[in-house]
Amino acid sequence: MSELGELDRPGTPDSPGAWDEHSEEWLTGAPETDVRDTETTQTPSQTTTPATRAARRGTADPVKALMHRHRELCERAVDPLEIAAGLEAHGVTDRTAARFRHRDVFSLAEEMYARLSKDVETAPRSTPSPAPGVRADWVLLSVLPGALCAATVTGLHLTEGRIRPAVATLCALAVALAVRAALGRGPLSARSHPAPPGTYPRRTPAATRVWTYWLLAYALLGDDLLTAALTDGPDGVPAAVRDLSAAPALALTLACVPAAWCAHLFAVGARRKLAASRGLADFTAAVKPLLLGAVALFLCLSTALVALSATLLHEPAAYTTTVTLGALLLLARLLTKHGFTHAPAVVLGAAAAAEAATLATAFASHLPGCAFLAAPLDAVVAAGGPAAIPAVACGGAGLLLLLHATRSLTRASAHATPGEPG
Amino acid sequence: MLVRIGLLTEGGYPYVSGDARLWCDRLVRGLGGHEFDIYALSRSERQEDEGWIELPPQVSRVRTAPLWTAEDDGVVYGRRARRRFAEVYGELASSLCAGPGAGSTPDGSDAATAEADRFASALYGLAELARDEGGLVGALRSEAAVRALERACRAPGAQGAAREARVPDLLTVAAYLERALRPLSLDWYGDDGLGSVDLCHAAAGGPAALPGLLAHHFSGVPLLVTEYGVPLRAHYLASGADDNAPAVRSLLAAFHGRLASEVYRRAELVTPGNTHTRRWQERCGADREKLRTVYPGMDASHFAEVGESPETGDTDTLIWVGRIEPAKDLVSLLHAFAEVRKEEPKTRLRVIGAATGAESEAYLGHCRALAAQLFPDEAEGMHAVGDNPVSFEEIGGPEAPTLAEAYAAGAVVVLSSVVEGFPISLVEAMFCGRATVSTDVGAVVEIIGGTGLVVPPRNPRALAEACVALLRAPARRERLGAAARARALELFTVEQNVEAFHGIYLEVVARCPVHKVVLDDTGEPLPFAVPAESHVPGRWTQAGIGVVARGGPSWATGRASAPVQATPVPAGEGVR
Repeated sequence: MSELGELDRPGTPDSPGAWDEHSEEWLTGAPETDVRDTETTQTPSQTTTPATRAARRGTADPVKALMHRHRELCERAVDPLEIAAGLEAHGVTDRTAARFRHRDVFSLAEEMYARLSKDVETAPRSTPSPAPGVRADWVLLSVLPGALCAATVTGLHLTEGRIRPAVATLCALAVALAVRAALGRGPLSARSHPAPPGTYPRRTPAATRVWTYWLLAYALLGDDLLTAALTDGPDGVPAAVRDLSAAPALALTLACVPAAWCAHLFAVGARRKLAASRGLADFTAAVKPLLLGAVALFLCLSTALVALSATLLHEPAAYTTTVTLGALLLLARLLTKHGFTHAPAVVLGAAAAAEAATLATAFASHLPGCAFLAAPLDAVVAAGGPAAIPAVACGGAGLLLLLHATRSLTRASAHATPGEPG
Repeated sequence: MLVRIGLLTEGGYPYVSGDARLWCDRLVRGLGGHEFDIYALSRSERQEDEGWIELPPQVSRVRTAPLWTAEDDGVVYGRRARRRFAEVYGELASSLCAGPGAGSTPDGSDAATAEADRFASALYGLAELARDEGGLVGALRSEAAVRALERACRAPGAQGAAREARVPDLLTVAAYLERALRPLSLDWYGDDGLGSVDLCHAAAGGPAALPGLLAHHFSGVPLLVTEYGVPLRAHYLASGADDNAPAVRSLLAAFHGRLASEVYRRAELVTPGNTHTRRWQERCGADREKLRTVYPGMDASHFAEVGESPETGDTDTLIWVGRIEPAKDLVSLLHAFAEVRKEEPKTRLRVIGAATGAESEAYLGHCRALAAQLFPDEAEGMHAVGDNPVSFEEIGGPEAPTLAEAYAAGAVVVLSSVVEGFPISLVEAMFCGRATVSTDVGAVVEIIGGTGLVVPPRNPRALAEACVALLRAPARRERLGAAARARALELFTVEQNVEAFHGIYLEVVARCPVHKVVLDDTGEPLPFAVPAESHVPGRWTQAGIGVVARGGPSWATGRASAPVQATPVPAGEGVR
């Protein structure tokens, strides 16, 4: 019968209101008592009046008993009307309220609200939304581009002759797909930071994509092209394309791993600060070092990766270009992910335009009568090598984005998680 | 008189899965003499995909907008617009932080009125900003909004719960407000939209009435609000289930309360569907003079045959019809039936209805078990196969093929609920001319009047006594049944509902007509530009140039030199 007793809830409404065990007991108790009374006393004509019921229960303060029954409702209530709505959902009507010497449910609820001891103010805190966990899928996917790129480089070393371009194309395609997959999952993806409820998901603008591809292409080919353009003019281009440097590509693809982890650490830290901070200013102050720390961590790790890939491939390590480009792309991705799509597109475009302008100037200097164009380029290249151009472009752009990020990514609204507005 | 009605719905008509679409459909079809423009807010993508129901010809246009999504139009505010937004949003936030919105001061003291005014001016300020500059969706999601909320919560006058708000709470509230204020960004309020109707009829309160408020603010269109449930109460019940922080719940409750009282304040008339709703509306500050209870209408034709014919059912049978769920308290009914059997051993009880959902299924199973325990199977004689005096059936089964026949099969219809809103099954029983015994919950007393017996809820003995009294008195049963049917036919038919709204429309339009001043090319008001004939019923211009029909007679349109030119004139400018 105990199982049936659990189901025996004659008074339990199927309503969205909170329905604690105490009120349940109260409800199950009431009709059963009535029936038992009938059986024992055998006075069918006598109906249970409120007075006799109150007398039987022996409570001097019926409202207090009612509050005890609806304790949870009372503790949660933010105003009297909420208590009134909850009471009505439990079947309390104006006629029931009359039993408590009140005109209607509203005044009964007001009394209950007024009598709530104010020390119950330590209401239950809402649990912070769970931080994004470390999941195997994005960890593996972030390793994938680097691994594929390493395989590509090995394959190119092992193969000879006509099969080589085919291998290079196929592997480049595979690496591109892997990068796309790595960006589509985990902390770097736009989905890891869901758009506010009921809004369209944020998409990376096409301009950002195009400029990113251009910057990557320049990192692979640009320095050689620039040198060739300054020395041989257009004739040197085929040779420059043939011996493109693989070390930056390997380093950049390997850097997907630290990028994902830094983004993850930033997201987790920001979520924690969000739950802990008392005001918006506190939050901003707490998140700023977090952001700078994450970027610094990425810079250190990617420098190490550049050194590693250069040693492995026996190529000179292009620290400045690769590291600045990596940081620039990471910042652009972080901003895009949090909904600030405009600034990354503009800044990436500016960096790409600077690089393109340099190349164009170098080639144009071979036109008759335009040799003077090469003079400033020659000076820069003589001072810092061909790598100075992308380093300055990406470094400047990266600094701009970092400044923007310290202002925009440290706002609480950038970290809003979807609530559940009804 | 031809009235052009802007029917405002939210997640309802004309969507196939909408709430209250049946009522709206009957209303629109029943009032063929008027013209309806439907402005519908959809509640989910699925609802939009499911499409509309078929619309009658008096619906001249339908405009829809999604509430479940909002596209940022990419407008970035300049400095002045930003300052204006921060100011207005700050006002809104501080009016929310100032305390509970509705109810705490029903008497309407000066301070409460001032707070309500502050909320209203902030709301209209945001709407004006959205109309002038656009980009409200982005602004409501921006850091400026969150900062304004924080400032309001930390301000000296803020109430206790709001002062506790932490950063995640502020973000939640900002996201919720953005969602709730989406109707402000709609382009419905121009002279070709809600500005051109004679009357806005909101089919529900809350978000559905928000466009009506703005149309009233921008164009002076009178607003009529019909509520069959109270959105504020629904919000409280829903917020009891989620686990938001007290600060969030108190701010959101304040928003809903203030919105409700603003709607009731601005509405020309408010029509609650029953006394319970009416009490909540009064509590939220609705003026008693504005309230007209209009009972929901039901189709009585299915029950006409049963209702007209004399009692045919088994005179020893009690009938219970409804959806089986714990709130219906069938256990109490079974206990009551046990009492009845002591007095009248030949009585039978038929419980007709289906259980949906796991909890209801379990409850039905429990009721069956209890019935089997309380009442052993019985047979006619030693050689007959017996069965239980309590039977559980479903509509459409062999014993009860239709709803009307289910009611007709017994002598007394019983309702044993502990919680009820507006019990439909009781009205159906009244249409069928059955004597009823019901518990005193929800709107039962209001529905039944004096035409049935009412007992306290959770009192099986009283229920049993009432049933026995009716079982023993066929003449009384018949009298009560006839009276119940007469009452139901007078109060709860579709016809009375439609007729009531027809009268209300005419009353509202007569009492506060929209004064449109039509300007000519030089900006001077055109006298007699909107002639009285434009309100004559019937279509006396060809379809397609509805603007002309309102602006001037059709013979005036073809001539360039005609004195009254409706078409090129920007109608409705400088309204009021």
